Amino acid sequence: MIDTTKIILAGEGGQGIQTIAKVITEVAAEQGLDVSYIPVFGVEQRGTPSVAFIILSHEKIYYPRFDSADYAIILQKRAVASVLAYINKKTKVVFDSSTVSVRDLPDEAIHSFGIPATQIATEKFTPKAFNLIVAGKLSRVLNLDEDQVWQKIEKLLGKKFKTPEIKEKSRQAYLSGRKYIFELKDFSRPTFQPATGKIIIKNAEKTAQILPERCKGCGICIVKCPVGALKFSDTLGVFATPVPEIDLEKCIACGNCFRFCPDGAIAVEKNKKLK
Amino acid sequence: MLSTIPKSWNVKLKPHLFCPGCGHGITFKQLGFAIDGLGIQKEITMGVDIGCSLLAWNFLDVPTIQTHHGRTTPLLVGYKLVKPKRIVISYMGDGAAWGIGLQNIIHAAYRNNPVTVIVINNENFAMTGGQSSYTTLPGTITPTSPVGKSPELGAGFKGPELIRNVAHKDAYIARTTVTNPIHLLSTLKKAILAQKENNNFALVEVLSICPTNWKTGAKASLDMAFEMEKTYPIGEVK
Repeated sequence: MIDTTKIILAGEGGQGIQTIAKVITEVAAEQGLDVSYIPVFGVEQRGTPSVAFIILSHEKIYYPRFDSADYAIILQKRAVASVLAYINKKTKVVFDSSTVSVRDLPDEAIHSFGIPATQIATEKFTPKAFNLIVAGKLSRVLNLDEDQVWQKIEKLLGKKFKTPEIKEKSRQAYLSGRKYIFELKDFSRPTFQPATGKIIIKNAEKTAQILPERCKGCGICIVKCPVGALKFSDTLGVFATPVPEIDLEKCIACGNCFRFCPDGAIAVEKNKKLK
Repeated sequence: MLSTIPKSWNVKLKPHLFCPGCGHGITFKQLGFAIDGLGIQKEITMGVDIGCSLLAWNFLDVPTIQTHHGRTTPLLVGYKLVKPKRIVISYMGDGAAWGIGLQNIIHAAYRNNPVTVIVINNENFAMTGGQSSYTTLPGTITPTSPVGKSPELGAGFKGPELIRNVAHKDAYIARTTVTNPIHLLSTLKKAILAQKENNNFALVEVLSICPTNWKTGAKASLDMAFEMEKTYPIGEVK
């Protein structure tokens, strides 16, 4: 049995890296292990790497930093650079194969395992639950108790589970992560990519254009539509959030969605009459 | 051809760096339309300040410069002295304008320097995590005021009303909101024309929304922006 496990978690701010780290360390501490957890992130709200250094040990921990990790969990392509120094040939690298390609990983990452967390979460549960899938798998690998981990998740994320439905879906996501078995597959191409191109819808009077590659899913256009012609669709935008779809029969081409959209992702226009 | 964005936006670098539903995006859309409408894209020089506003350094397809802590305004005043034909827009948040860099705007307004200042007021220090600021309304819950901001700390800092008292008689000072894009567009156009045609100081405060830090959805954010208008009245201050 290995006495000390060194883990590094890397992703982007807002992905739940620090929440997973808290869950793992607190549960391990309750099970009587010595733990150390150092969060590293900037003051920015989003878009910058967020890294967590964790040590779980049966012995006393004298120093919380380490130079090589036993496990490296990478959830975002841009975060790879911040963990390069901690990956060696013995490190087991787990990455979100739905957004990260195996080619993005360094050459030292011989033992790399893909888990399509974003894809599973989006298809089966809610897109935001992808970090729970990772937390589930990680807690299984580290031999942490299933119920104890879920109770800790409930305690830390309780406020975010606004309805029992979301809570149940999150629990299912966590359990599916626990049950996930790593497969041997070609991970050279990310399995999940946001929609690209333009969605153009036309009828005799109006033309609507929606750009999923720009839409961030804020929902302002839906709130501001005076006739309720817009609603969220299944197409995913740049932040893996749903993109609105338009019902041109209801639309009156007032231009409110176009005027309010902060990202320049939607426009509706009346067709010019041909003379 | 149907276009979803103004011509003056830098298309290559979109989607932009702001959060989903950010008021900066709505402001920039109308600023883009104002620049398109006046046909002055080649004459503009932008200056952005510290805070969330610096994420706009590549937003418009115009020359942009970034400085810290409210010094965007004096920097552009100096720039304008050297190149009087350029139109300079100083773009900053409420932290830079009404807090750490207040003296810069006061003196620019007092001297009637020809510069257009756009201040985005989103009622918090957004980039560092939504802490309570001078423009936060009493009773608002933020990370640094967990039981609601105390009324003793002020009822909301009214910058344009303060500047009005010292500003030159020809200066243009107005407040507008992202919940009314048509008013926003007309106000921004007037502010740019005040500089372009009359060589006057112009200040526009834009009441903005911050769904990330307010932790609100689309509807609740816009409702909160309507609430703000009770404390910060919309319209021309001077």
